[in-house]
Amino acid sequence: MPTRIILDTDPGADDALAILLMLASPEIQLEALTTVQGNVNLEKTTRNALALLEFLNASHIPVAKGCSTPLIKPPHGEQGEEVHGKTGLGQAILPEPRSKVVEPHAVDYLIERFLTEPGELTLFAIGPLTNVALAIRKEPKFAQAVKELVIMGGAVRSGGNITPLAEFNIHEDPHAAHVVFNSGIPITLIPLDVTYKCLLTAKDVERLNGIDSPIAKFVRDVTADYMEFYLKYEGFDGCALHDPLTVAAVIAPELFSIEKHYVNVDISGGVSTGKTYADFMKVSKKPANMKVALGVKGREFVDLFVERLESFCRSRL
Amino acid sequence: MPKHIIIDTDPGIDDSLAILLALASPELVIDGIVSVHGNVSTEQTTKNALSILELAKASHVPVYKGCDLPLVKESLISPETHGDSGLGYAQLPEPVTQPKAGHGSDYIIEQIMSRPGEITLVALGPLTNIAIALRKEPRIVKNVKEVFVMGGAIQHTGNTTALAEFNTFVDPHAAHIVFHSGMPMILTPLDVTYQCIFMKDDLDRLLKIDSPITKYISDSTRFYMEFHDEYQGIEGCVINDPMTMALTFMPEICDYQDLVVDVDISTGVGLGNTFADFYNYGKKPKNMKVAMGVRPRMFMELFLKRMENLCSKIR
Repeated sequence: MPTRIILDTDPGADDALAILLMLASPEIQLEALTTVQGNVNLEKTTRNALALLEFLNASHIPVAKGCSTPLIKPPHGEQGEEVHGKTGLGQAILPEPRSKVVEPHAVDYLIERFLTEPGELTLFAIGPLTNVALAIRKEPKFAQAVKELVIMGGAVRSGGNITPLAEFNIHEDPHAAHVVFNSGIPITLIPLDVTYKCLLTAKDVERLNGIDSPIAKFVRDVTADYMEFYLKYEGFDGCALHDPLTVAAVIAPELFSIEKHYVNVDISGGVSTGKTYADFMKVSKKPANMKVALGVKGREFVDLFVERLESFCRSRL
Repeated sequence: MPKHIIIDTDPGIDDSLAILLALASPELVIDGIVSVHGNVSTEQTTKNALSILELAKASHVPVYKGCDLPLVKESLISPETHGDSGLGYAQLPEPVTQPKAGHGSDYIIEQIMSRPGEITLVALGPLTNIAIALRKEPRIVKNVKEVFVMGGAIQHTGNTTALAEFNTFVDPHAAHIVFHSGMPMILTPLDVTYQCIFMKDDLDRLLKIDSPITKYISDSTRFYMEFHDEYQGIEGCVINDPMTMALTFMPEICDYQDLVVDVDISTGVGLGNTFADFYNYGKKPKNMKVAMGVRPRMFMELFLKRMENLCSKIR
């Protein structure tokens, strides 16, 4: 039985790669996307979600449109376009989608899907957690209905990538993260501590492009600007597979070393706002609220990623 | 033309009096009531809203249930102020009517979007429902007529912490969203409500009329007066919410200042403090009208006369 997943996402270059990897993995049945502002604005993330599904012949998967701003903070604006390109998908050019979003707001769509089949569906959240937080607050039964929630976000021991201390998704809506972390949903957190160990290099992209496939070409185009950004700002060759790494929680959990901790996020408005921290020494005496991936066999994951995409490209020739 | 209002409320003793004042006022039509956590749980505030409407023979007014937790903070309710039921010593029968299906925040969105420029929101509790409505449907900002908010303490001391008023302290994050939303807003802070004390003499005047409503007002406010005496050394009780309701149709009760108002969400000692940037150091546009001066007797006469009218009709 494949794991049935609803994905809350802000595509986004690495979001697009996560969607690709999900569709390329027989262990996963991707049932819906809900969009949120994040890497780029909501209009663009929603357009990208629809366009990407059409490009991959998967437009039977419904897309629901979510929140255009974080709960409390103003959105970060157009900064994200430097990382993910003007459209959010780097240099990739996908045709305007013909399909439309489904009627309900993403928050209500999530509530409806999870309450219809309580305990059956797994939620993946790879953008700011605004939609998920609102679903929790609007419907008190939502948290209990989610089988598991896998989040890309946070930097537990590692440094931040948007402030010295904070990771982007969590920093973009720290209040939403606070709600979600303390909701009681069983969470697996995939923080920067592990995602920065999974670097897709230009060589990997070229290997994939050994297959003459529009999907392989898309991967090259979507990662081009992304790689340039990493080279310019973070000084390494390749790009971190932040969002795709969440998929390993289903298809290759053995790659992770996982610890259970009480994890929370700073919403105090000071220098560490958006900082995700674990109570390693149990000083707060609070019970663990999530599993956190703190180690990963990075190269093995990248190889798996490339292999899955190779098979996917071949199957679509 | 009467004003069409939606009341977002957590009854609550003074909330219930505000609902009664609205029902007693021909200047207003209550289109609906949305319940929220606050004085007591949402389960209870919903029930109380229904009971009050039944008491006043107004159960045609629909009630929608809203959020039962603050947006980000942990829950805080106040049975010591309002009693375990939320209505002091009053014991109203279990309501026969039920809340309508659908979430309170969706009702707010639907009403405002289907009748642009016509709906006045009157927010008497923590602002959770309205904050969620704003995040789900940002266009309500341009389509709501105006929003009256009971909350905050600008130059006045707090009533829940040294600095913070109850409604904004319970959900400061929601208040932050609402204050910065761009909706036309009129704030009724403790600065004016604490000038208007409902006294034992006022109650005795109402009790000359034999009505289930006067009995209700007596039973509920007796508890409220004991609280004010015990905790704040005040004789009588402060009826914040009816005062906010009165301003929707009799603005001349108060004097207003256009101010830049914000709420502290930094989780320090000032959490929930509502403060005005009187000198506009932040150089931000003014975001609300704040009632800063009041004619207390003018308000109290209005309240008592309207209650007398209502009580005479409902025996």
